[in-house]
Amino acid sequence: MPPHPCESCHTSRAQILRPSTGIRLCAPCFTLAFETETAATITSSSLFHPGERIAIGASGGKDSTVLASVLQTLNTRYSWGLELVLLSIDEGIAGYRDHSLEAVKRNAEVLGLPLKILGYEELYGWSMDAVVAQVGRKGNCTYCGVFRRQALDRGAAVLGVRHVVTGHNADDVAETVVMNLLRGDLARLGRGTSLVTGTGGTGGEGGFASVKRSKPLMWAYGKEIVMYAHHKRLDYFSTECIYSPEAFRGSARTLIKNLERIRPESILDVVRSGIDMARLVPGAGGEGGSGSQRVEAIPRDAEDDTGGGCSGGNGEDAGGEMARVEETLRLNERAEEEGTETEIRLPAKAVNGQRHDRDGLHTGPPAAALPATVNGQNHDRHTHTPDIAVVPIRTKQEKKSGRKTAGDKLLPRQRLGQCERCGYLSSQAVCKACMLLEGLNKARPRTGIEVRGAGG
Amino acid sequence: MAGPPKTRRDNVAVDNSLCRRCQTNAPTITVRTEPLCSACFNKYVSTKIIKRMESFRVRHAEVGQERLLLLPLSLRACSIVLLHILSQHLRVQGEKSGRTGYRLHVLYVEDGKGEASEASKLYELIQHRYPEHTYSTRPLSDALALPGMQELLIQNQPAATIPLDLSTILTTLTSATSRTDLHHHLLRKLVLHSAQSHTCSAILWASSTTRLAERTLAETAKGRAFALPAQTRDGEAQLGTGTAFYYPMRDLLRKEVLSYTSLVSPDLEELILDERPRPAVSTRDTSIDELMRQYFSSVEREYPSIVANVVRTTGKLLVERVEEGWLEGRCELCDVGLRGRAPERSRLCFGCIRVLQTREAGG
Repeated sequence: MPPHPCESCHTSRAQILRPSTGIRLCAPCFTLAFETETAATITSSSLFHPGERIAIGASGGKDSTVLASVLQTLNTRYSWGLELVLLSIDEGIAGYRDHSLEAVKRNAEVLGLPLKILGYEELYGWSMDAVVAQVGRKGNCTYCGVFRRQALDRGAAVLGVRHVVTGHNADDVAETVVMNLLRGDLARLGRGTSLVTGTGGTGGEGGFASVKRSKPLMWAYGKEIVMYAHHKRLDYFSTECIYSPEAFRGSARTLIKNLERIRPESILDVVRSGIDMARLVPGAGGEGGSGSQRVEAIPRDAEDDTGGGCSGGNGEDAGGEMARVEETLRLNERAEEEGTETEIRLPAKAVNGQRHDRDGLHTGPPAAALPATVNGQNHDRHTHTPDIAVVPIRTKQEKKSGRKTAGDKLLPRQRLGQCERCGYLSSQAVCKACMLLEGLNKARPRTGIEVRGAGG
Repeated sequence: MAGPPKTRRDNVAVDNSLCRRCQTNAPTITVRTEPLCSACFNKYVSTKIIKRMESFRVRHAEVGQERLLLLPLSLRACSIVLLHILSQHLRVQGEKSGRTGYRLHVLYVEDGKGEASEASKLYELIQHRYPEHTYSTRPLSDALALPGMQELLIQNQPAATIPLDLSTILTTLTSATSRTDLHHHLLRKLVLHSAQSHTCSAILWASSTTRLAERTLAETAKGRAFALPAQTRDGEAQLGTGTAFYYPMRDLLRKEVLSYTSLVSPDLEELILDERPRPAVSTRDTSIDELMRQYFSSVEREYPSIVANVVRTTGKLLVERVEEGWLEGRCELCDVGLRGRAPERSRLCFGCIRVLQTREAGG
């Protein structure tokens, strides 16, 4: 690259062409700009309060490593007085985490931050290797994703921390937006772009029912994170899970990569579009994530924002997921066309007011009516009682006159309560993790490790 | 056997070697895993379109005051098929009740792309084949004569003088994305203007499911997703003009439309403008719209319902309401609400500012 002066300090030679702005900078000016922008994300949304204890979800990969380093730097520079701690989860997959865990340990030393490592084995009694040995490779990602979500929250509780930060970057959020568009998942579309999400528990409760999760690197390009890590000589180890499938996220990832090649700033545009669309989702109120006002914690469920070396908290295997959704949608379309669905207007809360997307796919009798896609529920897993289908089949007249009200009915509100076994936030009586564990434990005689709530 | 099984509840064994619907003829095409014969397929296509024309049924029309609808003709498969099926529909309406529920005005916009002579030949052929409608043509450059357009575009062309011409503008735009985008917006504005000058109450766009899905993702990638519900929802009046957009082809995949052109008789293939071969792989010079087109043409092959689902999902999003009469609050190019999406006192949204940029780095 021909010698150019840094466009910021105008003295040193520019070594870097920033993908996000196209501006040429020398390394120190770049790292400073990166840090300052992250600081802006944090301060403009009042993400932290002084003296807050923050757990950094550290996987050993580039994103969390950079996050830890930047937060440490900013904490000192601006005297935020934050208590930072590194939290790492060991899924128990031989040969996968070992290297990245070593990287995390090294980082903890270099940054001088305390580190807590929690394993699935000690949390749930099952390592991922054991789970896969039991259930095979189909649906194993469901276990991992669900366990990991809870693991971070549980780890936070153990540490007495109410706020976890993760290294999700703009590329991740953009992929999530595209993925949710492909899956037709309006609810997650509304939530995936939030800067902060919470488990919705009220502040007064202890335990892991009230942990909030945020992503300060949300506006940072994946490429710039790599560049930052390189110039600060940060030590990380990226891993791709050996069990990881592709499915929707893989397709979305390819698209984003191609998009980036054509026009790098499109990644941020996708994120912005996602935030805008979130506001347009009926009934789901997306208040969060605009980055320019105080953000409220949006309730999230156990399947939100997976990622980080793995693509599927909703785990099916590869083309399997897309094919299954395709199948379901097609059956829905066919049923609608043939009028095999009865138009019964039930209140929007459907059968018993809960989101039924936790259970595995129920296949009823082939002639049974399947809920039409207008219901706004997750289509790749749904349950239905064989006789009743909630199908607002709208004629043109109805559409025109009742558009807004019909739209509001489409997303049944999630009622968030607590799991009766462990107290974790759930819209079901028993949370997904406990259910999965029950299944695992039943199938194999083991001393059942009952997961009770951390009790504060 | 008492006729074809109407529902799946009839436990009649389905003969897979015959058309799934009529169980009489041999299938000629597989539509979303169902084998269909040509007749049933043609019916499938027509039904999907006519279903979307609910508001224009005869019973909703006053005698002698049928609404005039504008059909922009691009000479590509989708608009030809739409014209064909609607012509048929009008004929049937006339036969059944002696009058029609609407009238069509066909608009052909010459965009200076491709073979002008071949295009005008096809255009004449079409007028000959469907003489019952009224027709008009306009060159795309007319869009530059619309109020405010010259001032808007001259901002980025320091060396040029008014009046700007289309080819100058397009060549100074740096990216394929910008060119495609500007082209799209000029077309939209021109069609809207024409609809108003011909007193058409609605515009019938021929976009297929696939095309709408492409647009959804392309606009998302350009940061303009918020505009989608307003611009792609059926019956949504545009920019306080009273002219609504409709997309009667929104339930059909592009590949289904293409198949129709050869399976209907007489076939429509001779009426369609040949397209330049599209690049198979995206390069840096590809536009975002082209990228999405490539993406969805592959998704369409294996997961057609997912394509439809993308469109359905965006259809469920609420339309953003900008205060009535607050025209100052709209981007002058893409017509979306400016609040929160544009710099202070700018007449363009961030997305459009970028489209019209002529500097080098970053396109």
